[in-house]
Amino acid sequence: MAARFNIVRAARQLTSATRPRPQFACQGWQTQQRQRLFSVSAVLKEKKYTEDHEWIEMSADGKTCTLGISEYAAKALGDVVYIELPQLEMDVSEGDAIGAVESVKSASDILTPISGTVAEVNSELETKPANINKDPEGDAWIAKITVSGEPEGKMMSKEEYTAFTEDA
Amino acid sequence: MAPSRGPGLLRSGQALRGYSSVPRSHSGGLRSFATFTNTLSDAANKLQSYISTSNDPYLNLSIEDHILRKSPPDSTVLFLYVNRPCVVIGRNQNPWTEVNLGILNAARHRKNDAETEPPGIGAVDLVRRRSGGGTVFHDEGNLNWSITCPRNDFTRDKHAEMVVRALRKLGVDCARVNERHDIVLDQGHEKRPSDPQDTHRTPFTVADGALPKPLKVSGSAYKLTRLRALHHATTLLSSPNLHIIPQYLRSPAKKHIRALGVESVSSPVGNIGLDVRPFQRRLQDEFAAMYAGIGTANIVATVGDEHLKIPDIRKGYDEMRRQTDDWMWSQTPQFDLMLNAVDDIGIKMNVHHGIIKSLEFENSDLTLNMRKEIRHASVGQKLQDIRSWTAFLQKHLSSSSGTARAIANRLEKLLPIPELGP
Repeated sequence: MAARFNIVRAARQLTSATRPRPQFACQGWQTQQRQRLFSVSAVLKEKKYTEDHEWIEMSADGKTCTLGISEYAAKALGDVVYIELPQLEMDVSEGDAIGAVESVKSASDILTPISGTVAEVNSELETKPANINKDPEGDAWIAKITVSGEPEGKMMSKEEYTAFTEDA
Repeated sequence: MAPSRGPGLLRSGQALRGYSSVPRSHSGGLRSFATFTNTLSDAANKLQSYISTSNDPYLNLSIEDHILRKSPPDSTVLFLYVNRPCVVIGRNQNPWTEVNLGILNAARHRKNDAETEPPGIGAVDLVRRRSGGGTVFHDEGNLNWSITCPRNDFTRDKHAEMVVRALRKLGVDCARVNERHDIVLDQGHEKRPSDPQDTHRTPFTVADGALPKPLKVSGSAYKLTRLRALHHATTLLSSPNLHIIPQYLRSPAKKHIRALGVESVSSPVGNIGLDVRPFQRRLQDEFAAMYAGIGTANIVATVGDEHLKIPDIRKGYDEMRRQTDDWMWSQTPQFDLMLNAVDDIGIKMNVHHGIIKSLEFENSDLTLNMRKEIRHASVGQKLQDIRSWTAFLQKHLSSSSGTARAIANRLEKLLPIPELGP
């Protein structure tokens, strides 16, 4: 069974690799999209939260995760005036600052709880940063990351995270 | 310690041993700068206080960043420093719209006869800090204070309130914290009853928007990390340059640029009229009083130019100034320069991550071939690499044209790239 799943997964990977990728001249590194056969375990597929107030949610195939900041964080930051997004195709390691949010003269880092490669960024946030105050856990996601490992840091369920923010 | 050294060559413990043979005497006792990081990060040191003897803005901001990242998570650290004349922009600002870059450049190239310069103060550095907020001017009459504390204890006002208490103890009764978390001096003529403990109101406070407007004397900005919060701010004590600050902060390109990111809110400023040293001492006392509950400050010390030898500080310094100009220019949020065809050169240029992404012409004088040549040469270029548009166009155009020369002149005026540091 396991072998068959792997074949299916590899086939999906190939199909997605043939899709045209957006070209950004500003990226000096221009690395080739690497083949990744990694997918995270089922336990991560529900939305998870970190102690740094980010959330991640895995795609159904377990290969890509969507990352954003929590409603609690968006509220605490106040009116967001600018969001520095990560660069596409950038390799990121767990714990890296992949961007920053500016609100009320404060710059706060956005940390990734998972290693991988930035596959997509929510460009709309560049012109409409205030969206992050409206729907931080939905439309105002920050980036999608093709994962290359399981997160090692503490990840919490919605309930655990709510309890965590109430304690803080 | 050349900037060209390989990454990771010098790692904390190993590298630091090399410097421990250089003893230095500081006010808080004998401490070599080699042990600065060890002392700073020692979990036992919950309350620390530092003053910088350097006036290098890049170094002071790098020491401050080092404090933010290395101090124990539950510690509170005061850091005071004075910078030589410089313009400091916020993390997500556009230097071309916020700063009159042309006069920074002029002063640097003619710094030997600085007295003949219109602003008369010689070279002025340009710095992009890591915190948010707007553009400020620093000089020797401005004291910068910063407090790094646990993020859970942090509010945007608490340390501005501390500074207001310090000012009031020195007789500055009209100082208060305003709704933008800045410190202002009220200018009201009538004295009204007011609670002396209220740091947000003085006897001279007038209704919001009413005249006379309060004068801003201190501007705040913040950097938040996972566990820590850095609050830093200026304090205009006795700047000799108040009359020329607006010249530095007025950009000729501003009305032609539509920029994303953070725009400064300009305010009338004033001097408090105190000397730097007594105010430094008052601030250290006020800090000690505020945190007396934690105990007395474990560490009271000076830092200075020799701290540039600490690898982590050096790295921050190089990122901000030396290795690349990327932090200053490429960090600029996306913008469009728009010059109409009626009374200007008829160009629209889009710049993203400091790179020219598109260039459109609306000027009939320029041949199609020339447009193609200019576009071909400039799209994909880092704007910071085009130091002279005249030379750039001369190199890339197959024929010369008056229109092209006019375009080069105009772009050079609006988008100058001053050198960072001497």
